[in-house]
Amino acid sequence: MKAIVDCNSFYCSCERLFRPDLQQKPVVVLSNNDGCIVSRSDEAKAAGVGMAVPYFEARPLIQQHGITAFSSNYNLYGDMSWRVMETLRHLLGNATKVEVYSVDEAFIDLGDIPAEKLYDTAMNIRQTVEQWTGISVSIGVAPTKTLAKLANFLAKKNKAATQCVKVLATREEQVTAMRQTRVSNVWGVGWAYAKKLIDLGITSAWELSTMPEEWGYTNLGGVVGARLIRELNGLPSREMEKPLVTKKMIATTRMFGQPVTDINDIKEAIATYTSRAAEKLRRQHSAAKVISVFIVPREQNYEVSFRRGATISSHITLPAATSSTNELIKPAVQLVDDLYEQGKVYKKAGVMLAGLEPDESIQGNLFAAGPQKYQRLLMDMMDNINFSMRDDVLKFAASGLARNWKMRQELRSKRYTTRWEELYEVR
Amino acid sequence: MEGDYFNETSYRGTKKFSQQDVKTADATGFGAAADDYMERGIDLNEQLIRNKPATFFMRVRGDAMTGAGIFDGDTIIVDRSLKAESGKVVVATLNGEMLIRRLEKTFNKVRLLPETPKHATIEVDASCDSLGIWGVVTYSIHPV
Repeated sequence: MKAIVDCNSFYCSCERLFRPDLQQKPVVVLSNNDGCIVSRSDEAKAAGVGMAVPYFEARPLIQQHGITAFSSNYNLYGDMSWRVMETLRHLLGNATKVEVYSVDEAFIDLGDIPAEKLYDTAMNIRQTVEQWTGISVSIGVAPTKTLAKLANFLAKKNKAATQCVKVLATREEQVTAMRQTRVSNVWGVGWAYAKKLIDLGITSAWELSTMPEEWGYTNLGGVVGARLIRELNGLPSREMEKPLVTKKMIATTRMFGQPVTDINDIKEAIATYTSRAAEKLRRQHSAAKVISVFIVPREQNYEVSFRRGATISSHITLPAATSSTNELIKPAVQLVDDLYEQGKVYKKAGVMLAGLEPDESIQGNLFAAGPQKYQRLLMDMMDNINFSMRDDVLKFAASGLARNWKMRQELRSKRYTTRWEELYEVR
Repeated sequence: MEGDYFNETSYRGTKKFSQQDVKTADATGFGAAADDYMERGIDLNEQLIRNKPATFFMRVRGDAMTGAGIFDGDTIIVDRSLKAESGKVVVATLNGEMLIRRLEKTFNKVRLLPETPKHATIEVDASCDSLGIWGVVTYSIHPV
């Protein structure tokens, strides 16, 4: 049996853990730069706040209902996510039985627990996670990942009746659940496929499950579609996956805190993102051969549409793969010169490192040449200092000091779990 | 896996340990003999944190617990996985506030006792909704 453990309104739950005055009160969390709403408590949903709605649009509703809004506090959410996942790994007794699917979701492998014990086991996991970490979760249990997702969807939809735990052990239970679930809510059915299916008269998950596998193959994107139908029929076709240890591409992109027009500000931002990407590169012991940079301007008739213009990007192939920040910053900043147009207003920029290969200059590598080895030692020292001191105490001058483009986080709570100076104060 | 396996969960501190953590004298002469007796140093994280994902640090403000040796500005270690038994020092939530107090439970009453004459005892019904136990205080770190 497999289960999905999904944190309820995860970012809001993290905020509320240190704000007991906000229990049962409407809370929302905003995205980077306080752009739009990315997490809502049940009370905020009930007040009519939509998901991914721009903050300025939701503002009247937020004021009218006395909703508390927070800027994203990723330091806190990241730490709380680790706590939830670590608790699961401990409960399952084996790290390979937990597949962290996203910051607030994990698939777990429950093995061969007898059907009559599944509910109690899942409830026990739910209670232990909440007791230890303060984060409430919903759990869906079923023979396949897709049905577990569906079970979880039903558990979340009716928290009072299910106590956030739904088990679909028998075929009967699975059929009943699938009849109640619209095809658009099936895991893996995107917006476009949902429309296609509904046009074909397939409206519920159950109707989809009765289609032949070959039909899924031809109509729902090949092997993925065939697997989807098998999974709905209780035949496991998506196994537990190992984490992607080595990424094939590394990107760092951000919205600017405020619209940027000056080329020097863009260069600073690009240098900063390159430093961050290079840090990630070194952490997985890779070196990059290709660097690409993109910048996104605002559309001309921005005031009317609020939309972003087309992305402008360019890339360069380096003579040799490198993991040194300084060797990457230089070409990245040069690319900005090619892309930048005077008079345009920019909203976003990013750096992508590709053509990754194992880093040949890693300490102890016999074949590394002299200067390269020292370069790598220097980078290791810089990473150590930055990781232990935080806040990028060491950075390249190209990253700038004023940082006019930096992220806006006006309503951020304290970093209660990762900063000694920002601990919660109890009376 | 047994279904009731989860009922007794305990988690012990650090799970990662590398041999490199054991220091050596790095002496070239006679001192090297001491290397035979080198052992791992004391790791405070390991000693003071029993259950890492359930452990939080907080700072004490005010003098509610001076009688228990917990002073303004001290840092406390709070373990959420421990059972809040009567007599333990806990972080409690009451009416939207977090308080550090000694917990006293009787069959129908719960008391939050300050350890200073300056504050009053708080008494609530055991069924009271607005009272919650956030975690159990295990250590207080006091600068000397």
